[in-house]
Amino acid sequence: MTTANVSGVTRRKVQVQTNFERWAFLFMRVSGLALLILAVGHMMIQHVLNSSSNLTIMFVAEQWNSWGWKAFDMLLLGFAYLHGINGFRNVLEDYIHNRQTIKVINTLLAIFAVITILWAGYAIASFDSAPFLGN
Amino acid sequence: MSTLALTIRESIRYRGRSGHWSWVAHRISGLAILLFLTIHVWDTANAHFLPHVYAWSVDVFKWPPIALGEIPLMAAVLYHAINGIRISILDFKPELWKHQKRSTQISWGLFLIVFIPIGILMAVSMVEHWQSMGANWMHFPRLSDYPPIN
Repeated sequence: MTTANVSGVTRRKVQVQTNFERWAFLFMRVSGLALLILAVGHMMIQHVLNSSSNLTIMFVAEQWNSWGWKAFDMLLLGFAYLHGINGFRNVLEDYIHNRQTIKVINTLLAIFAVITILWAGYAIASFDSAPFLGN
Repeated sequence: MSTLALTIRESIRYRGRSGHWSWVAHRISGLAILLFLTIHVWDTANAHFLPHVYAWSVDVFKWPPIALGEIPLMAAVLYHAINGIRISILDFKPELWKHQKRSTQISWGLFLIVFIPIGILMAVSMVEHWQSMGANWMHFPRLSDYPPIN
C-alpha cells in the first residue's frame, strides 16, 4: 500500500478485490463515455437536425438501409439499456434492504434487459428497407 | 423497504448542499430516461415486427400533449450526460474533491448553455408543425386507420 499526499488529499492505492460491483462501477463510466457520443449524438441527429414531427416509417427505412446506422443503433441499444437497468438497480438497492427481495428483483431486471436487447437488436438487424423504398 | 412518502420526503429534504441537488437531478433524469427508453425500444422494434402499429405509434408520439415531452426528455439526457462527466472526473481525481461545489455550478451552467437554445429550437419547430396541421392538430390517431403494411 502506498500513500501519497496530493494537494492536501490523502491518496491510498490499495488492491481492490475484483467483484461484480467493481465491474458494474467501471461499466457505468465506460458506457457513460460511449453514450456521450451514441445517446447525445442520437438526440442531436433525431431531435435537432431532424425533427420528430417529420418521423415516419419511411425515415426509419432510409436510415436502416445502411449497416452503419444499424450498427450505431445496436451499439446505442446495448450500452443505453444496460446502463439504464444497472442505474435502476443502484436506485432500488438504496431503498430495498431485504436481500432476498433484491435478489429476485435483480434477476427479473436482468432477464428483462436481455430480452429487450435481443428483441430490439433482432428487429434492427433483420429490418428490410426494400419494401418501403421500392427497390 | 422504506415507504414511498418517506423516500420522497427524505430525498427532497436539503442536507447535502449543491451536490445533493445534483444527486437528486441525476436520479430523476436517469429514471425518466429509462422509462422513455423502454417504451421507445419496444415501440421501435415494431418497425420490423408490426410496421403498421409502428406507423400509428409514431403519430401517437406526435400528438401535442405527448410530443411536448420531447423537450424535458432532451433536458434529462443533456443534464444526465453533463453531470455524468462531472461524477466520472471526480471519481478518478480525488484531488478535485475540494472543488465539489464549483463542479456542480459548472455542470448546471453548461447544461443551461446547451439546453436553452436547443429547447427553443425544438419548441419553435414543434409549433410550426402544429400550425401546418391546421384544424387537425389535436387529432389523436386511431390504430384502425392504419392498415397492415406488406
